[in-house]
Amino acid sequence: MKQFSLLLGKELREQARSFKLFWVPLVFIFFGALEPLTYHFLPQILESVGNLPEGAEFMLPEMTGADVYASLTGQYQTIGLLVLVLAFMGSLSGERKSGTGTLLYVRPISYSTYYLSKWTAAVLLAFASLWLGYGMAATYIVQLYETVPGFTDVALFLLVMAAWLIFVVTLTLTASAALPTGGAAGAALGILFIGMMIDSLVGTYWTWSPWKLQGYGLMYLTGSPESGDLAGALGVTALITVLLILFGIRQARKNAAKAKV
Amino acid sequence: MSITEQLAEIPWGLIWPLIAIQLVLMTAALIDLNRKRSTNGPVILWVFIIIFINTIGPVLYFTVGRRHS
Repeated sequence: MKQFSLLLGKELREQARSFKLFWVPLVFIFFGALEPLTYHFLPQILESVGNLPEGAEFMLPEMTGADVYASLTGQYQTIGLLVLVLAFMGSLSGERKSGTGTLLYVRPISYSTYYLSKWTAAVLLAFASLWLGYGMAATYIVQLYETVPGFTDVALFLLVMAAWLIFVVTLTLTASAALPTGGAAGAALGILFIGMMIDSLVGTYWTWSPWKLQGYGLMYLTGSPESGDLAGALGVTALITVLLILFGIRQARKNAAKAKV
Repeated sequence: MSITEQLAEIPWGLIWPLIAIQLVLMTAALIDLNRKRSTNGPVILWVFIIIFINTIGPVLYFTVGRRHS
């Protein structure tokens, strides 16, 4: 336990010194603020930059708070995931390459503690970013939009999103344990985005997958999701996450020999 | 419409967080760049990317530009 808190402290210091602790949440907060503003001022924006022909008129649909949350989630699904994967792609492979790893591997540390300390630090940062981003969006949405979803619904939605982010972070760290940095980023992003494509093609029939989670979460804002499907998707995600963690620990131990001295 | 009127019409109360975040990211990236001076590619290129590309510039620097040595 002492070893774990020590390594966790090292990870948090590393996050602060590489500025990850600041820029990852800031990017999430930025998009959280930008999205509600863009939709609220869309008519004015179109008018000033649109280059529209004389007399052109648009019927813009009345956006509700839930619509803005949905479109912000769409942003986070691309830019947010990209940011998280890029931030954590080197957590294990970078240490092997730079030689920091050898300072650790010669000591009698357990590899599960080593992996889990990185995992905890990464998950904490991802949670903080997610919640700060949606918190920022919520402060704007409450001010600018008429109909807003209730607090408990948003909280439930964010918990489901948190499960999805745990999956994303675990996938990235395990890829980083198994592959060199570039390969890790490619593998993690590939699996995430190809999964989304498969989900949009055959998602109607395959209701229990991690890629379904954000859709189910969003349903809390407009109504409530099919509880059986949500529980199934959460269960499958938890199972895959645990398997990924175990695989990641094994790979971290195996690849320790590859560390550059 | 004069410039001052146009400026007064902008809802600054809503927009200032965006500007603040942009400035914080830019400053952090520039401080780090000045401290390390070792990047993938010429340093001056990164200075321009950080300053002139909104939001994405500093993020690009932190993810791709820093060389971990």
